[in-house]
Amino acid sequence: MKLPSSSRNSQPRILLAKTGLDGHDRGMKVVAVFLRDAGMDVVYMGVHCTTEAIVRAAIDEDVDVIGLSSLGGTHIPYSRELISQLTKDGRSEIAVVIGGTIPVEDIPALEAMGVRAIVRPGTPREEIVSTISSVVAQSRSVRADRESVAKA
Amino acid sequence: MSSDVSQAIAVSQQVATGDEETWSGIPCKEVYGPEDQRGQVYGDNVSDPGTFPFTRGIHRDMYRGRVWTKREVCGFGSGKDTNGRIRYQLQHGVTGLSIIGDNNGSLGIDADHPMGINDVGMQGVSVSSLADFEALFEGIPIDQISVAFDRAGLDCLAWMALYNALAEKRGIDKKKLRGTIQNDTLHFQFCGFGNSCPVDLGLKTAVDIIEYCTIHMPNWHTGNVNLYDLRETGIDAPQEVAFGLGCAIEYIKEAIARGLDVDSFASRRSFYCSAHVDIFEEVAKLRAARRMWARIMRDQFGAKNPKSMHFRFGVHTAGVSLQAPQPLNNIVRVAYEALTAALAGAQSIHCCSYDEPIGLPTEVSQTIALRTQQMLAHESGVTRVADPLGGSYYVEALTNQIEERALQVLETIKEQGGMAEAIRSGWVSSEIDKAMLLREEELTSGKKTIVGVNVYRQPQEDSTPGGLHTAPEMQGQVLAEAVRQLRASRDNKAVTNALRHLYAEAKRGKQNNLMPAMIAAAHTYATVGEMLGTVRHAFGYSYDCLDQLQLPPEIAV
Repeated sequence: MKLPSSSRNSQPRILLAKTGLDGHDRGMKVVAVFLRDAGMDVVYMGVHCTTEAIVRAAIDEDVDVIGLSSLGGTHIPYSRELISQLTKDGRSEIAVVIGGTIPVEDIPALEAMGVRAIVRPGTPREEIVSTISSVVAQSRSVRADRESVAKA
Repeated sequence: MSSDVSQAIAVSQQVATGDEETWSGIPCKEVYGPEDQRGQVYGDNVSDPGTFPFTRGIHRDMYRGRVWTKREVCGFGSGKDTNGRIRYQLQHGVTGLSIIGDNNGSLGIDADHPMGINDVGMQGVSVSSLADFEALFEGIPIDQISVAFDRAGLDCLAWMALYNALAEKRGIDKKKLRGTIQNDTLHFQFCGFGNSCPVDLGLKTAVDIIEYCTIHMPNWHTGNVNLYDLRETGIDAPQEVAFGLGCAIEYIKEAIARGLDVDSFASRRSFYCSAHVDIFEEVAKLRAARRMWARIMRDQFGAKNPKSMHFRFGVHTAGVSLQAPQPLNNIVRVAYEALTAALAGAQSIHCCSYDEPIGLPTEVSQTIALRTQQMLAHESGVTRVADPLGGSYYVEALTNQIEERALQVLETIKEQGGMAEAIRSGWVSSEIDKAMLLREEELTSGKKTIVGVNVYRQPQEDSTPGGLHTAPEMQGQVLAEAVRQLRASRDNKAVTNALRHLYAEAKRGKQNNLMPAMIAAAHTYATVGEMLGTVRHAFGYSYDCLDQLQLPPEIAV
């Protein structure tokens, strides 16, 4: 897959974080390592992050994707907060992806608010990598379009 | 079509041979026999149940004397919400309670903390003050039922204070209170809440609880060292034993340093272990742990009372072994793990609910978990004879091997100056991280088979079988508002005085027990966040572990 190179390098960049108080960080750590091994740049923020801090870091670090890890049942309010913060900052091309204990019943609501991919437990590693890669490609093409419009 | 069938046949054939090694990587022979027990004398490493070194169990009559306590971890929403589920559990045959607090509680902050609003009551019950304990235990005779508090950080100090205050208000003799508090602040470093529970302060508060309970609550278990949470990180069975005993040793050392006689408190220590998926390895692990602990207590700490040498343990079936795909399969996984716990002689069992990889258990899923234990205890015959696997060539050999490996890890810990030091240096973290990655590699490579995950996959279900537990909309806002109202309506002069007293007591140093001042503060409806923040501040840590709130200036005078 060829990625448009609107970022400072062509490697996909993903920020991983947990919001709120939940401390289950094992899944996020494992994902961080294998995304890195798959050639992505990973910005690891860890646990107990506010959505404001995540969005600020995502912009500062020029990432393509924010990967939110949720094992505490708070995925709906935090996804909503994160996406509305990105929209407010005019950076809605930065994709939000969620991984963790997400009931299948919540998938339509998350998709409706703009979460670009939902990775449930038991998803094989290669599937996670390819999901993130395609989300990155989408995000970059939106950004490339916007930048070309701006130039014109 | 035919290529699909061929592919399916190939997958089935690929997993059709038995493993050559255990889950933890211990190589196994095809068959074990008398040669594997050569040179071993009955009565040395293995003796009758109820006799040193207790490999075969801590009681001679085992489950004939008393079947394990059947608990199901419970906690969500408000005290009132959880009270409803507790009553339901009691009506359906639990023989002990197990209460878990929410993430706010784990961090020692209140329901109205600015960063916690979405987490309030989500992974456990919301407890900010005595008012929440009053609602939680409304109509529950706490002098008649054993209660396990699934709390491990600084919040243990708050929960014990609240429970004591509740008992005092009800006029209950504290000697009648039976139950357990995990009180394992060291292991809490590895639960994602590290900042909230500094190693040194955690050891101090842990010993405060040990000391207070030893004097005032003789039927209370003062600490339930949590091997389970450690195992959930991905470490193997020998590491689970070694890390757990490593933590346990620190509490014994600290309590002795406080001036307690080992036999005065060690008989009220207990353990909380995993029953992971490898049945015989797990039985061997628990048998090895019993033997190791007995020797540590006798030889290292000079315990004289056999009860001080007992490795009493509850089992939590392995949450990490449960899978989100095809979730009903988890019922079977849990049943095997519960069987393992019973074969190993557990004193209490919590069975996970099948829907735990998806959300909090529903009433339906939790009832199945409870029924799993009841069928095991009362239909299967497993309770008939103590240590039914004792003398098995294989299980005895595996017990020896796990002990040998665990002793090596313990030795490495000892060389570093003990578990607290190994935690401070980051060694334990790095071991855990290595194990975590190894487990992922085993899963991806197919070295470990997980049905429904790396073999026999099916398309995702359209809905969760049995339905979902969902939190009411605005739960956090409602519970936070209740705390704000409490702050407005209580006698704030009494609260300030109690917190000042607590601060002054904390300033008297590490050896000074904070339980009495905590209980006095709990009576005034001082909140968990206020009490623990005051203690943190007095010991030089930030008032709020998330750095959002400050110590009210009138407290530190």
